[in-house]
Amino acid sequence: MTTATTAAASRSGAGRALALAAVEVRTVLRNRTTAVTSIVVPTGLGLFWAVTVGAPDPEGATAVVALQLAVVLAMSVYVTATQTLVARRQARVLKRMQTTSLSDTEVLIGTLAPCLVLGIAQLAVFAVVDVAAGVPLPVDVLPLVVAVVGGLALVVTAAVATSIVTPSPERAQITTLPLVFVLLGGAFVLSVAPVGTVWQALVVVPGAAVGQLAQLAMTGTTWGPGLGGVPAVLPALAATAVWPVVLGAAARRRFRWDPRH
Amino acid sequence: MQTTSRTRATGPAVARSEAAVVVRDLHVHFGDFAAVRGIDLDVRRGEVFALLGTNGAGKTTTLEVLEGFRRRTRGTVSVLGLDPAVDRAALQRRIGVQLQDGGFVDELTVQETLALWQQLVERPDRPERLLARFELCGRRDVPVGKLSGGEKRRLDLALAVWGSPELVVLDEPTTGLDPESRRRTWDAIQELQEAGRTVVLTTHYLEEAEALADRVAIMHAGRVAVAGTLGEIVSARPAGFSATLPAELAEIPALTGRVERTGDRVRVHTPDLQGDLTRFLGWAAERGVRLADLRAAPASLADVYHAVRAESEELP
Repeated sequence: MTTATTAAASRSGAGRALALAAVEVRTVLRNRTTAVTSIVVPTGLGLFWAVTVGAPDPEGATAVVALQLAVVLAMSVYVTATQTLVARRQARVLKRMQTTSLSDTEVLIGTLAPCLVLGIAQLAVFAVVDVAAGVPLPVDVLPLVVAVVGGLALVVTAAVATSIVTPSPERAQITTLPLVFVLLGGAFVLSVAPVGTVWQALVVVPGAAVGQLAQLAMTGTTWGPGLGGVPAVLPALAATAVWPVVLGAAARRRFRWDPRH
Repeated sequence: MQTTSRTRATGPAVARSEAAVVVRDLHVHFGDFAAVRGIDLDVRRGEVFALLGTNGAGKTTTLEVLEGFRRRTRGTVSVLGLDPAVDRAALQRRIGVQLQDGGFVDELTVQETLALWQQLVERPDRPERLLARFELCGRRDVPVGKLSGGEKRRLDLALAVWGSPELVVLDEPTTGLDPESRRRTWDAIQELQEAGRTVVLTTHYLEEAEALADRVAIMHAGRVAVAGTLGEIVSARPAGFSATLPAELAEIPALTGRVERTGDRVRVHTPDLQGDLTRFLGWAAERGVRLADLRAAPASLADVYHAVRAESEELP
């Protein structure tokens, strides 16, 4: 038996998921349409906002950070992940992967991990560009970290849930629109609306908490009073935690691995 | 087309006596629709078992239950001693699966697809062996999306037999293939059996089941209508003989079988081929009748298949 064959047999579940993720990255890079929609467009938007809006105006800087975060979550991760899942299901690749030694969870991780890595890489690029463009650093970085981690959890579970009602990759451009609009709009409004106003109720909208958390991070008012005297960060944390759980539960119940039936 | 030998190696006798698959009272419902309605199946180790049936008969759903991909509504299922609904991960290490279609990442080349399999499947094997066995060496750098239908099915089969699994499940392995590609697939399936592997396959092609299968089950509308060896299935159905008679002979002897007469042509369907044929030949000899175009044959699998369909469609 060759070294290669014994190495294959002894590969761990994480190693197998990583192998699948590497293939997904290769596929994205070879597919120009996917590369443009998931990499070029969001990156271009983020850079445009940083250069034209950001810099000295603190409110504008907050909006830029929130929009950059929202566009990466919505377009680079959510839309791409939904399209990828649906395309792989329609082509029966998910079903094929289930015939390997991968567990169902590992198949999903391997399939979706590149979208997550892509999103994180874009955020890193935006961070560098923002600093170069004069956007001030966040006063309290913790809400921003929560916004990134919670936002990624939200859009990944939303992608799996959206795939349930999406029969083809083309239809994903339609089925993902509601959350994309809600996420971008909610995040923008909550990033500029004064804390403690009625606008803060928008935090219950999926993804809007990202804007609220970005504002708190940039202004350093994380534990300041919000609507009804409750610290503004608490409703945002609750929304960030609850939506992935709700969407994940829906996905777990109804997710389909196969286009049949 | 080159025919495939019906003489097959059958693997060790001890292994063949063990059950690879046991299914009892399997039901699968999708909402109100019953795709599988109480089937029993037994597949022995080392045999090739063919599930025949029309589209929508429940073949693929049954396979998906055996593979652990589909939950059953009722019944018991054992595959290699494991319950697929409970032990799918353990089962996947021991079975190879060929899907009915698709399942490839079109952007990957053949070589990359096999290399991925090497990383994803615990059973050890070598891409080079399978490239050579399935005559894909010249296509190794071609993206899978650009392969012909026959080449894709060969790659599909290569993935299914990766690491020589104990049980290979093939869902319509030759659908859409040209005769040469079909023959190659049959050869590969026979090699599996000669190596003592168990094969469960579905097919629309009766000649495929006749050429490959030790035992057959014919499904229709979610039920197994008949099952057994080809000999058992065929012998349970009326055989037949036919001949052309001189026009002046209006009467023929009383026979146990059913007689159809079309002009000078007589066709007899009978459960007692030997007895009826003897009476018929005796009658002809007494009258000095020369029987033009005399033909006698047992029922074929095609006869059984069509009879099953007809009988099932008559049921309420």
